[in-house]
Amino acid sequence: MNNNKNSTLSVSQRLQSILAKNWAILFTLIIILIFSFTGKRFFQLANFQNILHLSTIYLLLTASETFVIITGGIDLSVGFVMGLSSVLSAKIIELLHAANFPPALSISIGSIVALIVCIIPGLINGVLITKYKVPPFIATLGMMGIANGMALIISEGFPVAYLPRVLPNIGNSYLIYILPGKAISFFSKPKGIAGEEIKELIRIIPNSLIFISIIIFILWHILKNTKFGQHTYAIGGSMDAAVRAGINTNKHLIIIYVLSSFLAGLAGVFYVFQTGIGIYTSFGAMYELLAIAGVVIGGASLMGGKGGIIGSVIGVFLLGVIENGLHLSGVDPFFRYIAVGLILIVAVIIDQSFPDLL
Amino acid sequence: MSNMVTQRNGIHRFFLQLGSKWAIIFLILGAILFSIISPGFLSFNGIQVILINSPFILLLALAETFVIITGGIDLSVGFVMGFASVVSAKLIALFVVMGMNDLFSIITGIVITLVIGIIPGFVNGVLVARLKVPPFIATFSMLGITHGISELLIKGVVAKNMPVLAGKIGNGSLIYIVPGKTVSFFIKPLIQRGGNLIEILPTVFVIPFIFILIFAFILKRTKFGQHTYAVGGNIDAAIRAGIDVKNHLIKIYMLSSLFATIAGILYVLRYITGKADAGTGFLLDGIVAVVIGGASLYGGIGSVWKTIIGCFIILVLENGLRMLGFPTFYKYILVGIVLIFAVLVDKLFPELIHKED
Repeated sequence: MNNNKNSTLSVSQRLQSILAKNWAILFTLIIILIFSFTGKRFFQLANFQNILHLSTIYLLLTASETFVIITGGIDLSVGFVMGLSSVLSAKIIELLHAANFPPALSISIGSIVALIVCIIPGLINGVLITKYKVPPFIATLGMMGIANGMALIISEGFPVAYLPRVLPNIGNSYLIYILPGKAISFFSKPKGIAGEEIKELIRIIPNSLIFISIIIFILWHILKNTKFGQHTYAIGGSMDAAVRAGINTNKHLIIIYVLSSFLAGLAGVFYVFQTGIGIYTSFGAMYELLAIAGVVIGGASLMGGKGGIIGSVIGVFLLGVIENGLHLSGVDPFFRYIAVGLILIVAVIIDQSFPDLL
Repeated sequence: MSNMVTQRNGIHRFFLQLGSKWAIIFLILGAILFSIISPGFLSFNGIQVILINSPFILLLALAETFVIITGGIDLSVGFVMGFASVVSAKLIALFVVMGMNDLFSIITGIVITLVIGIIPGFVNGVLVARLKVPPFIATFSMLGITHGISELLIKGVVAKNMPVLAGKIGNGSLIYIVPGKTVSFFIKPLIQRGGNLIEILPTVFVIPFIFILIFAFILKRTKFGQHTYAVGGNIDAAIRAGIDVKNHLIKIYMLSSLFATIAGILYVLRYITGKADAGTGFLLDGIVAVVIGGASLYGGIGSVWKTIIGCFIILVLENGLRMLGFPTFYKYILVGIVLIFAVLVDKLFPELIHKED
């Protein structure tokens, strides 16, 4: 279909189309440039690693939302499934820890159980959406309430806090530590450094970056290079065509919603590693909406059939850089909400003014 | 399909009738259940408590009803409500400081807020109707923008310093009865300490209720209402029928913002503070109420009265559980289940939908 158009495209049209397609990354680069001048200590390795580290949860949620949105659905439950998984894993770890299990064992049992349990909401979502034709918005909205209630019941409305101390150490440490000219160590700080020296310590590659890179690579590969990914786009592009092409759309959609829930569960477990506590998702957090924002900024359409992991990752970075940069530039943090809103509108308008020419 | 219709016998038809009214039956059964297991539920005060807690969800659900019937969604109402509460609280406090009399500054503040509060809806409408931004995205953006602006206005705390009169209005009732002596409207009679005073119909319920009456009429009986259904049912057909769809959608989103603004103002009158996140919890309850009331997110179906039933199902669950001593947590789960159930009923028994009106 595009072949005819391709030959008649002028250079400027091509350029416009390329710009429109990659505006998010261009915009990210531009604001990084601006914040480098306005922000105190913005353009530093430590700060960029910080942005990445803090984006991990959003990357997971956005990746899960990417799959769902490409199929033309939406998953409003991810934020609260994340809270459920965080609270559940923390509660199990807390109980086992209190029963004098070794930390490694209790942490792995807690994480694995939470991840398995978090498949259930996705399974229910998928079955409701495919077998009973409940609109995704409503099925996942219902699941959101249920997951929220469960998380609150498990945690009794308080953070689950009595966890092994090693947890946040795993979640927040770095691959390489260098004390210039003196010491180098992996995974934990060099032993025996004094108070003043800790300021000079250079930390490179947070553990969270390794973790999220692996996950994102796998998901990118699945979506881009496998039959599963192709089918995902096919379902989003045209459900009828996908059915006629012999795709088992019901099974595929159920897998997509299970995957979405699982990734949300992973985000919840990671949250425990990052903060050292398990906490339910508060109503104002709007994780799911920010994740959807990331996907849309990354070029996906809520109508389905469009989008990709790379785009979503850029979307998340854009939001992360804005939050961090505004903060370091001394701007009132509340401008962030306004910025997210404006960028989202710009994203959609750009997407619509420059339809796919290439 | 037509075979099935002719095969219907009397009992089948009766159950269909019953099924199409499942929401109100569910509401009544729930109310009966709660009144049996928790004695205070069906008391005079128990009902008043439900009414006092009802205005925000009622207004936001009313806003969503109109938007959802057109096939859209408005995620911004919660924070528009917060925005309105902040703006009105700030304005009223400002007027009082400027030396205006209390009542006058409250009225002026409310009127100005009503005008400002329509702006987010207007922008939403323009984005959705003219720039073809999907409603989900447009209104989510507006959610962020109104949230940001209201937090900036109050610098992250709450807006306070309201005149005492505001609280008196917001916590007052429509009818006051001193048994055997006087009956008065809106103005609380002076009574002796410990004296018996019956307060009927809280003002915060009466005001939304008036709006509900007006807009139920508008949706059902006027051209504006007909056009709303037409736009949601089939937008192409609506355009061909000569409806100015773009302007109509803009009006709908402005209306939605207006209801949210009224909710924000009521919040200020009731709690004498303006908070940016005043409406956070009510947005989803509002959408849920509309869907429980049988509206379709694809547009074209829904009605104000059924939405109200949906609202009261949530309110009854919430209050009933609270009176039984359960924490609010269980409400989220039950409301989620009722929501899914509501849609399942329609999907499993498609005949039900067409039985009405």
